Amino acid sequence: MLHRRISQFFFIYLLALGLLLLFKYIFNLSDYVIPGPLDIHHTATLFFSRYLRDGLNTLSVAVVGHVLAVILATLVAIIGSRGNLIGSLIKTAAYNLQAYPIVAVAPVIFILLGDGLVSRLLIAAMICYFPLLLSFIGILTEPVADIEHFYVITGRMRWQLEVKIRAFENIGKLSTVIAGSATLAMVGTIVAEFIGANAGIGYSLRIALYQSNIAKVLVALFLIGIFNSLYLTLLEGIGYLVLKKLKIQNGVMS
Amino acid sequence: MHLFFRLILLVTLCGCCLLPAGGCGGPEPEKEPVHLVYRLKWLYNISVIGDLYAEEKGFFARQGLQVDIKPGGPERDAIKELEIGRSQFGVASADQVIRAVAKGSPIVVLAQLFQANPLQWIYRQGKQPIQSPADLRHRIIGITYGGNDETIFRALMAKYQIRKDELTLFGVRYDYTPFYQRKVDLWPVYRNAEGIIISDKLKKGGEKVNFFNPDTFGIRFVANSVITTRQMIQNHPQTVRKFIHALIKGWQQALDPVNADSALTMMARFDKDTPAALLRQQLMTTRALMIPPAGKNFGWINAPAWKQSADIMLAQKLIPAPVRTDDILILEKIGGKI
Amino acid sequence: MTTPPVYFECRNITYHYPKTDRLIFKDLNCRLRPHGFHGLFGTSGVGKSTLAEIIAGEISAESGELTGKPSATILYSSNMERLPGWSSVGEHVAKVIPRRQTDRMEQLFSDFGLTACRNSRFSQLSLGQKNRINLIRYLLQEFDLLILDESLANVDEAMRERIIFNIKEMFPGKCFLYISHSLSEVSRFCDTILVLRSPDKTPPIIPINGLNIRQGESTDNSNLERIMLEIVHAA
Repeated sequence: MLHRRISQFFFIYLLALGLLLLFKYIFNLSDYVIPGPLDIHHTATLFFSRYLRDGLNTLSVAVVGHVLAVILATLVAIIGSRGNLIGSLIKTAAYNLQAYPIVAVAPVIFILLGDGLVSRLLIAAMICYFPLLLSFIGILTEPVADIEHFYVITGRMRWQLEVKIRAFENIGKLSTVIAGSATLAMVGTIVAEFIGANAGIGYSLRIALYQSNIAKVLVALFLIGIFNSLYLTLLEGIGYLVLKKLKIQNGVMS
Repeated sequence: MHLFFRLILLVTLCGCCLLPAGGCGGPEPEKEPVHLVYRLKWLYNISVIGDLYAEEKGFFARQGLQVDIKPGGPERDAIKELEIGRSQFGVASADQVIRAVAKGSPIVVLAQLFQANPLQWIYRQGKQPIQSPADLRHRIIGITYGGNDETIFRALMAKYQIRKDELTLFGVRYDYTPFYQRKVDLWPVYRNAEGIIISDKLKKGGEKVNFFNPDTFGIRFVANSVITTRQMIQNHPQTVRKFIHALIKGWQQALDPVNADSALTMMARFDKDTPAALLRQQLMTTRALMIPPAGKNFGWINAPAWKQSADIMLAQKLIPAPVRTDDILILEKIGGKI
Repeated sequence: MTTPPVYFECRNITYHYPKTDRLIFKDLNCRLRPHGFHGLFGTSGVGKSTLAEIIAGEISAESGELTGKPSATILYSSNMERLPGWSSVGEHVAKVIPRRQTDRMEQLFSDFGLTACRNSRFSQLSLGQKNRINLIRYLLQEFDLLILDESLANVDEAMRERIIFNIKEMFPGKCFLYISHSLSEVSRFCDTILVLRSPDKTPPIIPINGLNIRQGESTDNSNLERIMLEIVHAA
């Protein structure tokens, strides 16, 4: 799985780079506009290890932010899936809040919380939180009538059991949604670093753009792609193992 | 019949050989472009008043040019647009130009707008005034990492042998809160634009401010200049001459105190957020930063300052090899001849 | 002097499918003795499951009323139900029945031919096994009336007979309403057979007495044929 994803990323990256270089040579653009292969290689040699550390820093924040978002979205979705006033308020608030672009909210967060780790974490969590929340609410409000009927008619249904049934029956969807939102967590962290933080690959990207150094940008984008692929593969792997275990238990797979 | 086919083949081959020559750069002179795009370095503010004034008063039109003045911004780069061909003229700071030239960009400087760099550091007047760079020790200094204020400040530190551990550098963005909250002692601002606005805010709060100008201490780092490409000069010298003539006229008139009211009325239309009184102060400060020394025309290019800018960048390894700045400063060379 | 039994009774039930003009029942009246193995028969789509759900209180009739023993527990089970997949069927059933029913559960697993399946997950079972497991967990609940909607579908004939005899023997004081498409089955095993008719017919439901045979009793074929004919004519 990892091999396939990384090779897909390499293919897309190299294709995009090839197109850029083609553009450069067709229009005879300088290395300032689009760096040449030597310039990119030279920049990569100089900055790869530093950007690698920055990328790891970003990835660690994205992972923690993502985990926080998943936990928070689960809790809020459980409350939101209750058919009461609070639940309905949460649903409405989630739909409305997700419409705010994070670039508009992020500066306020940096003003309030400073440009350290907390702000980055919060923005990373926020950017993947709302899509997660809406998916979770959707899953947890959809009855699994053929299983729930017995518990309802015999008076055994409790909210914990209801959540368990619905989550278990939609484990594949949940796994896909969580893995899908991982990219958002990475994007959120990078945007946060770009806008206001003082560490991470997004911050390095911003400095590179200040310096109009496209070679640095290309190196940073390469590492972002690699880290994103790694994280996605990890999550997909976990999801696959969980599903495989469940399917074996249920006799679907041998 | 056989001969007929041979003839057709010959004509086709000749046609194929001639087509590229005709289509890609034959000897025929290119027409002078009428519609031009002029990409500014920043959003519409007081630092572009002359550019807008030239358009407003029809100076471009009188030269037979239609100029589309487009605002810049943090993610805009006039040099790249010039190379790609989306713009014909633009505004860039010296560090951008030097970096681009170091990477083979065919950019040339037509005129230097700011004679003194407007990038200065605002600070509150306190018990310990900053009278020399040595007074910066033990203070918290805001810099934009990767920005030209970092380059300027590091050059100052190097020149006055201020070690990193003798002061604290604080990475800044567009949000001034850390300065208002006194978390940072000195904050980089454009003296003629946000410098005026922040001063006004703090003055209203009963605080007095001052500006630290590295130029005063020998750090001469050139700011905004008007640029174009070598191809533009080679292929359309008339257009370049007309454009720069109209532009400089616009700037001269916009900065002339006689035209202040007219220029400010126009500016208020583009910069709706800045109160009229502050715009007036901004114009006065801009004038002081832009008017060239006696005997020089508006737009004069300060070649030694450009050389120093390049030397600073080389010393800080922002460019891999020396850049001959004289080769890219062409106003003097084309002055009057274009 | 004995107290007369309290019947489960539907009075003047009228019902349309939601958001349509399609009438299912109009002024439907029927009643069931409070114990015994009764049947509900009708052609496909006539509204058997809908009537069962109205009786169980899962959907409400537009008009009419249901009467019976006060606070009677009516359960509705169908062959569409599933058990959750996170535990084996044996663990699940043990968890959802009163503790005192454990011995009975063991007996039912054995009688219904499911002992070998108790450690399996629900999805691993055949359709017939699934229906039997589902039936066991319902049989072991507290109820006054249990509606069995096609609950023995996909179970072979011999096993169905065994299960029905077993239910009659084990739960003599309970009331069952068995919904089936098998004419001979309801005719043989059921006490009262409610024949549900299409809405254009009056009355909408006709009760017919079935053979209601028990374990060890032989089937009187001429009677069976008569009942079957009666049902066919009624439907």
